[in-house]
Amino acid sequence: MKRLYEVNFLVKLVAAFLVMAAAWLVASPWPAVLIAALVVLLLCVTRVPGLGGYLKGAAILVAMVLVTWSINLGLQGQPLAEALPTAVRMAARLVATTAAFFFVMETSTPGSILAAASAARFPPMATLVLSLVFGIIPMLREEFLRIADAQRARGMEIDGVPFHTRLRYALARGIPLLVQSIRMAQAISTALAVNGFDAATKRTTWRQVGLLVEPRLPLNEVRKP
Amino acid sequence: MLAIEDLVVAYQGQDVLHGISLQVEPGCGALVCGAGASGKSTLLATACGVVPRLVNAERVTGRLQLGERDFAEIKRAELFSRVGIVFQNLDDQLFDLEVEDVVAAPLENRGVPRAEIRARLAELFEELAIQDLGGRRVLTLSGGERRMAVLAGALAARPELLVLDEPTTGLDPAARLRLERSLSAVRDRIPLILAADQDAASLAGAMGRIHLLQAGQLAGSWPTAEALALRTPWLEAGLLPPRRQERPVRAGAAAGGRVLLAVEGLRTRLTRPNGEPVLHDVTLELRAGEVTGLVGRNGAGKSTLIQTVLGLAPLAAGRIVIEGEPAERWTAARRARRVGYLPQNMRRMLFNLSVLDEIAFSVGGSTATIGDPEIRARAARALAPFGLADKAEASPFALSAREQALLGLACLDAAGCAVAILDEPLLARDRQGRAMLDLFLRRSHEAGRAVLLISHDLELIDDLCPRLLILADGRIAADGPTEGGWASPAFQALGWPAPEAPWRIAS
Repeated sequence: MKRLYEVNFLVKLVAAFLVMAAAWLVASPWPAVLIAALVVLLLCVTRVPGLGGYLKGAAILVAMVLVTWSINLGLQGQPLAEALPTAVRMAARLVATTAAFFFVMETSTPGSILAAASAARFPPMATLVLSLVFGIIPMLREEFLRIADAQRARGMEIDGVPFHTRLRYALARGIPLLVQSIRMAQAISTALAVNGFDAATKRTTWRQVGLLVEPRLPLNEVRKP
Repeated sequence: MLAIEDLVVAYQGQDVLHGISLQVEPGCGALVCGAGASGKSTLLATACGVVPRLVNAERVTGRLQLGERDFAEIKRAELFSRVGIVFQNLDDQLFDLEVEDVVAAPLENRGVPRAEIRARLAELFEELAIQDLGGRRVLTLSGGERRMAVLAGALAARPELLVLDEPTTGLDPAARLRLERSLSAVRDRIPLILAADQDAASLAGAMGRIHLLQAGQLAGSWPTAEALALRTPWLEAGLLPPRRQERPVRAGAAAGGRVLLAVEGLRTRLTRPNGEPVLHDVTLELRAGEVTGLVGRNGAGKSTLIQTVLGLAPLAAGRIVIEGEPAERWTAARRARRVGYLPQNMRRMLFNLSVLDEIAFSVGGSTATIGDPEIRARAARALAPFGLADKAEASPFALSAREQALLGLACLDAAGCAVAILDEPLLARDRQGRAMLDLFLRRSHEAGRAVLLISHDLELIDDLCPRLLILADGRIAADGPTEGGWASPAFQALGWPAPEAPWRIAS
């Protein structure tokens, strides 16, 4: 199933848009729930990195949508039997959408995105923007975890403490995360500049790109100059 | 030819370079050596156009010429297509790409056809012996492996001028030798090479001339062979001479104190691409007052070992005993209060807003006590021995790499941990930095602390560590007195020259 990770980023992106459109276009709640369940099943079967975190977030999202929509519609005079299916449909739409794009984001490396966009002869600036939008979020998440590890390695007890303390420490990571985000943006811009990135020149790629994007160079099969 | 004439660069009202003039001749690489903060990185960044094209300086005057043309006449895109650059801190030029992407980037950006890029990648991977890195995310590599990937990227486009800032940092001796050979081999294809490194001997075979930089001024220039034979100019420039005259008295020579850290049969859950655990049977002991050196190839698992001991990487099997207590179930923070760690890149360990806050955190062990006046006073006192008293209010992120390493030492010392692990401290060849390292080791010895020093600088290990550990094939392959370690089968298997080996000189 890991071969699904290698599917061309643009194909995954189109598929995610189609899933989102289907979830939002269906009129009744249960087909939307079915779509959401199928996408979450896909995440589980393919063991997408960060799945545990996503499922926690999705569970909180579902609970919040069900409660707030039911209350809101109830205050507007709808009986619970009518309000609840509407809330379920909305929660399912959101889960289907976020899960589909989570799959795209977590299974596409910035390199594979650059390759797919370069092979499609996208303008260099569009290639760059796509790569950054989808590539930087996992990088920031890893940076957040890395800062937590740095805090642990310096002796800050962030594991065996009550939830509110853990939350406070997590919020305290905001400042170093901001500093690192700025550095990361600077590193990306510097890397592009010193490697001769030029918005006027269309990029090529070392990867074979088709329905799948080659994840590594088969050194034995390449003819050396 | 690269010609630099009367170059002055100033930041924040202070001249960093004072009228530097030097020339890099085709086929005759130039190596700039100098102590920390002597201006090496600024000189290199200006010589390749990063300053002021990408990084602003308050003032840049003088003349720089590449070939027949002034830098000012060359457009940015053209300049960076003619120059290959490797920065000292790789975090400044890397993001989360696969290794092939990093190496291929300059070619892809120039629109080179796929077949040509692939052939070039295959050639470079073989030349630099980095085939095992293929397909791996660059941010998951060890420091030395990352540097090899970036070096391959800089060589890929065969630039006219190659600028390398501390290229040997984090490289094991075999990788240094491969780098030196590669630089020698590409001299006909890459005519101009300008490098800065504190370890002159490692690059000697590829460089024709050495320039010594002292406080932003050129202190002298010599043909490489001549420079390596000198002593006084190196000492005056704040560096240890490339040829060791004598070995200093080692701190912690009288070992044999109680065991402070014991690792038994450690196996990691982290595996290599072939499914084998990175470490499968590591057993070692660190004793009070002892300084132990640890060496191993790039990617041997040294950092993984430390991460596992610290509780940051999962343990599959084995025991970790800290000060006599089983610590496998301890949280990482609890372990860290006994086992302090100075990583290769200290910037990764910083999370406070000022230098004083960082050390106050180490003194108090909590963010809650950072504001306590007594803790702050102790923290301020702890900064002084490491020469950071005047930086107390500075942002730790704004310090130089060397200053951050010193801050790391100060934090470790102030935290009073039983065990200190120093991972490739960036202080080895700089006299002042080495003095600080010696100070830390002396204080550790007096405090009965055990120190584990991880480094690829074999002379540093030989100078400072009475005991040597060699990590190979997922286990400790040799453990004993350092002199014997250099003659052990495990060290022979690495194929590295022992510290006493004669230096190779450029012909």
